[in-house]
Amino acid sequence: MHELDEPLRELIPRLRRFAVSLTRNASSADDLVQSTLERAITRWADKRIEGDLRAWLFSILYRQFLDAHRRTRRYARMLAFFTGREDVQPSVERTVIAQSTLQAFDQLNTEQRALLLWVSVEGLSYKEVAEILDVPLGTVMSRLSRARQALRQLSDGEIASPSLRILK
Amino acid sequence: MISLPPCERDLHAYVDHQLPESDRRVLETWLAAHPDAAAQVHAWQQDAHVLRASLSGTLQLPANPDLDPALIRRRIRLQSRRHLATAAVLLIAVSLGGLGGWHAREATQPSMLPMADAMQAFRLFAQDGVLPADYRAQDSGTMQAWLDRYFNQAHRLPDLSPSGFKPVSGRLLNTEQGTAAMVLYEDPQGRRISFYIRPPGPNNGFLPHGSRTANGLQAQYWSGAGYNYAVVSPADLAPTHVLQF
Repeated sequence: MHELDEPLRELIPRLRRFAVSLTRNASSADDLVQSTLERAITRWADKRIEGDLRAWLFSILYRQFLDAHRRTRRYARMLAFFTGREDVQPSVERTVIAQSTLQAFDQLNTEQRALLLWVSVEGLSYKEVAEILDVPLGTVMSRLSRARQALRQLSDGEIASPSLRILK
Repeated sequence: MISLPPCERDLHAYVDHQLPESDRRVLETWLAAHPDAAAQVHAWQQDAHVLRASLSGTLQLPANPDLDPALIRRRIRLQSRRHLATAAVLLIAVSLGGLGGWHAREATQPSMLPMADAMQAFRLFAQDGVLPADYRAQDSGTMQAWLDRYFNQAHRLPDLSPSGFKPVSGRLLNTEQGTAAMVLYEDPQGRRISFYIRPPGPNNGFLPHGSRTANGLQAQYWSGAGYNYAVVSPADLAPTHVLQF
């Protein structure tokens, strides 16, 4: 058995969790994890990575997701052009009032979800996150601050939404 | 050493346990005297805590066998071996051609001799056993499924079981006309027959039903559903009932 297989196997649940939080869909999350593992296995052969294996895998997965997402968005725009519809992205998603922290989390943008998962849930260091995103440390901190602020605001909807319902 | 009052970044670093121990203690003392900032920090801690708790469920997803690293590794290796094998096949074909004889003749006159590549493949893989198989069948159903991955709606594998022949292995080849596959059948005595399939090539070289014999091998060939086919066997055991298409 290859030396990398066991550490990889142990990290699969974490990769799947991260993938689910990005895709919000279990089966496309597994596709994403699979292509991440493929890439990791092929790239491991010609280059030993330094530092945390988990951070390295997260960065591969994140890139792959962004690439796929970009392709889908381009496709959606093309579709909109041909069908004459302006907004193919569901706007409902944005107007739903958060009822729990998890729902609030799901409404954050991709990078904010990734940031909070890496820092708050996985406990990666700011430096590791900076390397994954390829931005300076200060940028990580200010984006993290915005992500926390946004999560707070959306979670506060938890309190606002029942009272709104009573007024109606 | 942090300076007081702390900036927002220090508060985040505190929440994320990324402050040095000494700074941490300094900040804790300061927070005790500043309830507004403490409430803010507490809310962030609370959010992080709730997030950890609510995302812990996704760690317990039922295992997906497709994600097994050893399996993925095997698949990658198989793909690269297939590329290597393709290169090897080309090399062998070239070196045989260099030796002259029927190989060279067949290689240079493919249009004169239908499905010469099928017969050559049979010699290399069924008789000489030059390279390992790309796929080994568990039963005939899985062999068909393997073939369907590469050839769209092609004719089904012929059923040679009445004569005792079962599909045992398959391999992919590169030909001038496109990707070809050869499925090897074996009977209990270890005798071999091959089924060969490939695209007709750029000139759409579809073939009428026919057969020919060369150097002790017999090839029966035909076209259909967008592909050319051949069944190759030693001339003495040609399965006359194969051509039921």
